[in-house]
Amino acid sequence: MANLNLTLKVWRQDTPQSKGSIQTYQANEIPEEASFLEMLDIVNEGLVIAGQEPIHYDHDCREGICGMCSLTINGVPHSGGLVSKVTTCQLHMRKFKDGDTIWIEPFRAEAFPLLRDLIVDRSALDNIIAAGGFIEVRTGSAPEANTMPIRKKTSEAAFDAAACIGCGACVASCKNSSAMLFTSAKAAHLNLLPQGQPEKHKRVLAMVRQMDNLGFGNCTNQYECEAACPKGISVDNIAKLNRDYIIACAAEGVGVYA
Amino acid sequence: MKDIQFPISDFMPDACIPEGPVDQKWTKYKREAKLINPSNRRKYTVIVVGSGLAGGAAAATLAELGYKVKCFCYQDSPRRAHSIAAQGGINAAHNYQNDGDSVYRLFYDTVKGGDFRARESNVYRLAEVSCNIINQCVAQGVPFGREYGGMLDNRSFGGSQLKRTFYSRGQTGQQLLLGCYQAMEKEIGKGNIEMFTRTEMLDLVVVDGHAKGIVVRDMVTGEIKSHSGDTVIVATGGYGRVFFLSTNAMGCNVGAAHACWKRGAYFANPCYTQIHPTCIPVKGDYQSKLTLMSESLRNDGRIWVPSTRELAEKVRNGSIKASDIPENERDYYLERKYPSFGNLAPRDISSRAAKEACDDNRGIATSGFGVFLDFKDAINRMGKDWIAGQYGNLFEMYEEITDVDPNDEPMMIYPASHYTMGGLWVDYNLQASIPGLHVLGEANFSDHGANRLGASALMQGLSDGYFVISSTLPTYLTSIKPGTVTTAAPEFKAAEDEVKARLNKMMNVKGTRTPDDIHRELGQLMWDNVGMGRTRESLTAAIERIPAIREEFWNNVKVAGTTVGMNMELEKAWRLGCYVEFCELLCYDALAREESCGAHFRLEYQLDDGEAARNDAEYAYVSAWEYKGVGELPVLHKEPLTFETVNLAVRSYK
Amino acid sequence: MKDIITTICQFVTSSVGRKVIVALTGACLLLFLVGHLAGNMTIYGGLGGGNETSWINHYAQGLHAMPAWLLWAIRLGLLAVLLVHIGFTLVLKWENVNARTKYQKEGTLKATLASRTMVLTGVTIFCFMVFHLWQLTYNGDPANCYEHIVHAFINPWCSLFYIAAISCLFMHVRHGFQSVFQSIGLSTRKIRPIFDLAAIAFGLVICGGYISIPLAVLAGIIR
Repeated sequence: MANLNLTLKVWRQDTPQSKGSIQTYQANEIPEEASFLEMLDIVNEGLVIAGQEPIHYDHDCREGICGMCSLTINGVPHSGGLVSKVTTCQLHMRKFKDGDTIWIEPFRAEAFPLLRDLIVDRSALDNIIAAGGFIEVRTGSAPEANTMPIRKKTSEAAFDAAACIGCGACVASCKNSSAMLFTSAKAAHLNLLPQGQPEKHKRVLAMVRQMDNLGFGNCTNQYECEAACPKGISVDNIAKLNRDYIIACAAEGVGVYA
Repeated sequence: MKDIQFPISDFMPDACIPEGPVDQKWTKYKREAKLINPSNRRKYTVIVVGSGLAGGAAAATLAELGYKVKCFCYQDSPRRAHSIAAQGGINAAHNYQNDGDSVYRLFYDTVKGGDFRARESNVYRLAEVSCNIINQCVAQGVPFGREYGGMLDNRSFGGSQLKRTFYSRGQTGQQLLLGCYQAMEKEIGKGNIEMFTRTEMLDLVVVDGHAKGIVVRDMVTGEIKSHSGDTVIVATGGYGRVFFLSTNAMGCNVGAAHACWKRGAYFANPCYTQIHPTCIPVKGDYQSKLTLMSESLRNDGRIWVPSTRELAEKVRNGSIKASDIPENERDYYLERKYPSFGNLAPRDISSRAAKEACDDNRGIATSGFGVFLDFKDAINRMGKDWIAGQYGNLFEMYEEITDVDPNDEPMMIYPASHYTMGGLWVDYNLQASIPGLHVLGEANFSDHGANRLGASALMQGLSDGYFVISSTLPTYLTSIKPGTVTTAAPEFKAAEDEVKARLNKMMNVKGTRTPDDIHRELGQLMWDNVGMGRTRESLTAAIERIPAIREEFWNNVKVAGTTVGMNMELEKAWRLGCYVEFCELLCYDALAREESCGAHFRLEYQLDDGEAARNDAEYAYVSAWEYKGVGELPVLHKEPLTFETVNLAVRSYK
Repeated sequence: MKDIITTICQFVTSSVGRKVIVALTGACLLLFLVGHLAGNMTIYGGLGGGNETSWINHYAQGLHAMPAWLLWAIRLGLLAVLLVHIGFTLVLKWENVNARTKYQKEGTLKATLASRTMVLTGVTIFCFMVFHLWQLTYNGDPANCYEHIVHAFINPWCSLFYIAAISCLFMHVRHGFQSVFQSIGLSTRKIRPIFDLAAIAFGLVICGGYISIPLAVLAGIIR
């Protein structure tokens, strides 16, 4: 069991309005087995005892599923580019080397206003879902579950898209701060399933419009999002959203129902 | 050691269980239930605290019905509630496998799994609506596992001999919660739900004996605000983090339930805390939480420890690997002790068996607190690809955390605090002992008795949220006039002032220990004394130590920052402030229940073969505790449990 | 009618719609590159002999022999496609820059250099194109196309500029080609690597073809 000594370059900003800056901290005697957030806990414990304010960051489940943790490490959301498909909470210190300097910044995008230190407001993602990321089925109105067989592959593909944890790493990693991967994953999840067909066009148009209105950038097919996504959501979903959008426009505008 | 005499009250609120045979109670209830005209529903404001499966489902459903809903969660989005972390699945009595399942069997298994300490009527209702839940979720687009023919697939789970568990790979909770979250967002988009994220409930406001609102802290600005409504629904999950290390999320806390308790709601069966058998063992004292590996792994994994202490020691110091140990030197203790259920024995039994093996010095992992979960045979039988299809993400997760690939070496697992069956006491309407306060999901006590079966928590949360509360809420709402109480009522101001005073008091201690540090100490005490095995001595010792920890908190806690703006240390301190008061109740309840049942295992009360010795004659009741002040003994109210349908039997999984 | 207009407005103001427009105009320009190269390749048909005109001069004259309206229709059409391509791209880029907050330390996992420099390479190609049109179309003479080209490329600086610009074109096409399929929704995980290879192959063939001309002139193969 080895311990690490690290230099942290952390973004500190007290309030949404104040001007933030990078501060340097030493993280000493960090166990290799600790997770990245446990490393921050250790640093924070030291800061508090020393009478300073701890580094604020978002975290909750610490098992890589809630999507709350949101740190950009060495310029790459969650993983710091050291491992693929992990959330920050599942990144372990054994991936770092003794003496490393680690840059820790929030998930940055204009659509994600900063609240404090490493915490940002990602409610824009909820707003995209509210615009159409659902199947409108009143509680109690559902038919018997096995009345509609669904091809296993279709169901699996829908699941792959639905595995999105809504952390926003796609936006944070995108060179244009686009939310296409997030939006397309939810649209694809629902559009793939037979249950999602009735609202398909409406959903696609509404979600894209909402996404555009919230100040996200535009996708330029760089696929950085896919590489940064802790759940490996595929950019196939983006292609599908593009396709579905064209079809939806044709259907709603021209009356071509394909 | 002095004997503690708990004050016992003869009074017990009516559980409002409908008359008639158990399988007709819910039908009868719905037939006779009060209704509210659609145009009148919008006059009622419903406050929902918590946005997990129970809270989220309730918020969405009530908003669809036309009520004005205000929903609160401490996370930055309702999608992040800890229901999301449930892995294995959700039970339902659909009998798609044609293996003899029925509503009655699900009901019976749940009552038996709960060691006959649950209310029959509630459990039957749960089993009854289980199929509706699956129907609803499928319609919402939840991608459940399917067979090639396109039909829904099932897997088996602990405590059942049937395959009745629906699943979405290892992320069932996530998919169910997203379905529920999407339904909520739909209503948020329409303006029917007003959502308050990053908002934590700190107090319940009771006006003229009725729950009429809450006091919250805006976790971004630090403001203390009040919200009034016609009824309050609390769905804030369990109190597993009383042990500090648990599989709960870091933010999970007892705060809301504790506030309700202090305002007069009875807290029922707090000693029923479930320890999950398959978690990754503790690695160091910096550890913040424990990670659960789904119980579904027990379908194909075999649990064992080395058959001798010497071998175990060699594994611990790393001189041999698990794969080096030959078959005849492995003790598959669950298969040995429980031949018919084997590795699928219920959670409490598996957990305790692991503890026994480790107490016998045959544990593995560096700490000695671990057992093997081995997939070698399953891999040989079905192939690596098949295993990857079943458990791929769980294997990846395990490897990510421990740096060991379960394909090569067996997993190491150990029990950890996971779920709490106890909770606020509710009647059949899910109404607490304070009129107007409704409690849903893990936060209430009603359906799991002394032990919860796997894949039943998701079922209960959604049952309460989607199907029960929508039918039972009008019973209360029709008894009041909507909109009569606003935040102008003096009770709100008083509650706000109390909360502010408490926050300031914490802030001004300016001691030397962080909240986490004190919480860790409290957690260790609780784990050691009130964890998997409890004795009169251990409980009394804990009860004697707790006031000192509480003193330590109020005299030596160091909360950085101020009450203004974001302050995660203050959040932790507030939650710990609740735990240092609440933990005593857990001990009291465990001490007062002088029997072993389900997850509550008193070492004094066991059968010759080490099984829990229930005492139905004296303890077949729900212990509902009434708050009487910090450090004061709570008053015990007893709700007798009557079993009209199932026969009380020794719970045997042999 | 109202529905159609509303939908078109929605389409051209949405991120996805504009991306589709950029992709389709880009695809047109890719086709133009193919056609243009095919014409250019006639230079390898040689100078001709005696009264024979060289192939490329023949080709150039053939182009000019088209009815003027057709020639101008094609030219203006291409110009429109180009302007739409550039215009929409710049608007998207402007939005993208405004949507993003810079990191103190930037990191990149997958985004290629080509994909990150599309505007830069695009602007370079545009400048090159203006020069190219001025040099070889405005000041050119279809009857002496061959001679004109040789004369231009014999100047190593001019050749170098062409080669540099076409290298930018390679970068642009390399990302743009596969991007077209993604933007119009015809890409999947399985086919994307093929598009990616095809993009490189396409870029190499097209740009190699263009670059071969100044190189051939410098090497004395074409004189």
